[in-house]
Amino acid sequence: MLWTDKYRPQTLDEVVGNNKEKKIITDWVSNWKNGNPQTPLLLVGPPGIGKTTLALVIAKEFSEHIELNASDKRSQDVIKATIGESSSSRSLFGDEYKLIIMDEVDGIHGTNDRGGVKAIGEIIKNSKHPMILIANDFYSKRLQSIKPKCTVIKMAKVRSPSIRKALREISQKEEIKANPKALELIAKKSNGDMRSAINTLQALADTDNILEPSDVENLRTKDDRSDIFNAITGVLKSKNPQHVREALRVDEDPTLVMEYIAENIPREYTDKNEIKKAYENIAKADLYFGRAQSSRNYGYWKYASDFMGIGVSSSKKETYKKFSKIQTPTIFTLMGRNRGKRNLRDGIAEKMSDKMHISHAIAISMFPYLEIMFQNDELAWEISDFLELEDNEIKRFRKKKIPKKVVTKMEKQKAQMRVEERDRRFEELQNQMMNAPEEIEIEAEQAEIPFEVTIDNPSEVEIDETEEIVEETSEVKIDKTEEKKENKEKTEEKKPKKKTDKQVSLFSF
Amino acid sequence: MTGPWVEKYRPQKLEDIVGQKQIITRLEKYVGEGSMPNLMFTGPAGVGKTTTALALAKSILGEYWRNNFLELNASDARGIDTVRDRIKSFCRLKPVGAPFRIIFLDEVDNMTKDAQHALRREMEMYTKTASFILSCNYSSKIIDPIQSRCAIFRFAPIKGEEIAERLKFICETEGFEYDEKGLETIVYFAEGDMRKAVNVLQAATSEGETVSEESVYEVVSKAKPQDIGNMINKALMGDFLGARTILRETMVLQGTSGEDMVSQIYSDVSKRVTEGKMEADFYIDLIEAIADCDFRIREGANPRIQLEALLTKFI
Repeated sequence: MLWTDKYRPQTLDEVVGNNKEKKIITDWVSNWKNGNPQTPLLLVGPPGIGKTTLALVIAKEFSEHIELNASDKRSQDVIKATIGESSSSRSLFGDEYKLIIMDEVDGIHGTNDRGGVKAIGEIIKNSKHPMILIANDFYSKRLQSIKPKCTVIKMAKVRSPSIRKALREISQKEEIKANPKALELIAKKSNGDMRSAINTLQALADTDNILEPSDVENLRTKDDRSDIFNAITGVLKSKNPQHVREALRVDEDPTLVMEYIAENIPREYTDKNEIKKAYENIAKADLYFGRAQSSRNYGYWKYASDFMGIGVSSSKKETYKKFSKIQTPTIFTLMGRNRGKRNLRDGIAEKMSDKMHISHAIAISMFPYLEIMFQNDELAWEISDFLELEDNEIKRFRKKKIPKKVVTKMEKQKAQMRVEERDRRFEELQNQMMNAPEEIEIEAEQAEIPFEVTIDNPSEVEIDETEEIVEETSEVKIDKTEEKKENKEKTEEKKPKKKTDKQVSLFSF
Repeated sequence: MTGPWVEKYRPQKLEDIVGQKQIITRLEKYVGEGSMPNLMFTGPAGVGKTTTALALAKSILGEYWRNNFLELNASDARGIDTVRDRIKSFCRLKPVGAPFRIIFLDEVDNMTKDAQHALRREMEMYTKTASFILSCNYSSKIIDPIQSRCAIFRFAPIKGEEIAERLKFICETEGFEYDEKGLETIVYFAEGDMRKAVNVLQAATSEGETVSEESVYEVVSKAKPQDIGNMINKALMGDFLGARTILRETMVLQGTSGEDMVSQIYSDVSKRVTEGKMEADFYIDLIEAIADCDFRIREGANPRIQLEALLTKFI
């Protein structure tokens, strides 16, 4: 069992810290009990300081309570279905109030929660029941419309002596031999977060029941890492190196953070020299990220991080007073939006690289020339035929389709060339057979080796076959080769025809 | 065969290769001996590294070269594991109909250091059955242990007259007319890069029958990303965000590489200064930034970030 649950305070007195706020709450509860309806309570504060605990303690004062939290889908319908009805109607037994607790109200977002904030607003307006709303971020946009309708209670972090005291009590109950120094360290490192301090204690005590300061020392400070937007704001808005460093402790790929900073430099900084200087630092950061990667020495990251953090932040003379929205790097949206185009491009490059012994990058660098060449119908057909390009790939280089007339003409030409090539080859073979029969014998012997393994080139096989026959008789094999060649020709001629049919049907589509 | 001339007119034999005479002489010795060490070809794009590797493989492996030759692109194959698997399965088989097998690995300088170390082990493991030909733009990006296991051949940019001669040969074979000025212009823009020269030539002939100075200029200006000039104008006027957007779109949509962007930017500003549209002092400051950017990209920094930083120097 989690100690945070096991030792959760059961009464208001047990709740540590925030005494002034507790007073307001006691008054609020007794007012409700005296039949004096109050506006909902909005508890705001950092995590782990007892907001939920407080709400649960209050719940004990009422006969029933309903809890909702961020893990619930909060679309308008869900909220209305679960508490909408009960919030506007009172129980049959009259004076019984139901307490409604809504946890992590500022977590309402996204399409699933569309209308969630509005729904809460309505529920607040219509509610005849006591309500407690809980949120982390006082400045959250989502709270803007809710705040005026509530009694806002801002809760502070728990002071470290209070945490230490709680930890000591738990240690005693759990029979842990805890060095007071160790508890103090945990309390300090928890940064005001009681829940995390208790969790840490439990984690460390689980192994043995002795706790020394050395156990705690190498423990990382409680993860109060900010999100990427805070990081960017920190870099762009602050000039204090310490703040910048802290802001940059985000759990994100540092090169992504760099992209964000780079994106927003010209949006925040307006002075030309500041942009220059800031970008110079970005370039240096990038250089070290590159070096880290190519040398696998990730120690370089710290330099990169300083360039993009402190370097960029100190590039401005003064902090800008304006508010500029942090934007997502357009490069990502650009790449996402054009994925289709890029896939097409890469597909063509792949074909070129196969046929032309070149890399993708070189293939792509040839595109501008291909665009020009493709304006010529016949050349366009020739190249597409050579590279085996599909219609959509041809469209990458020319807007119009290759005219049908040209296609037919070129296909005929190609077939004609094949016939000529066949005749020439046949003649060649005939000459070989007549002129140098001895030589062929030797070649044939050598040629036997490749039959043990796969043969990639069919034309080679054919030659070998004819050559073997040569050894036997002279007359017959000429007929044989002729037959063979003719067969081959037939199949070859069929092929382009089929292709034409296909193309025609595509054109009429 | 039809299709792109860069492939159609790729020399098939060692003796046909344009330029690189010394290299070819040495390679022909290997052919004569029927054996070769591991080789490394280094040099800029379009100077004949791949062509030489293919021609060498054909001569030294003989008729069944295809069965004994593996071509891999280190930067395209998805990760080093794919490369290693393919090398392994290729080397496991004995050479057939040839004295040994050849593995041609292109763009080795794009491999990470880790991948290069893995490659080194592979090279050692199969010394008996296979030889490697590695190709790269910058040998400085290759780890020492690999370099020391290879005979290194440095390919120089191809000389202007040699390129011109080849272009003439192509024109004559294809039946296109040309004038000297037109070929000269191609040679000027190609900067020793035969692939580029042949591409410009084919593009120029695709528009008309003759290759002239005008037709070449037209191709070159059409093939150049129009946006570079716009981007620089925007930056010069102080609109950094606008310029940055063009930069990103060009790189993402056209797929223009960082190196290409740098050289485009360089030629754009150097044109501005010669035309008197830019102060020399400002120009020299920019050149320092461009050179820096170029160097960093080749060193392995993120090209887009470096170029964005470069753009700020214009504002």
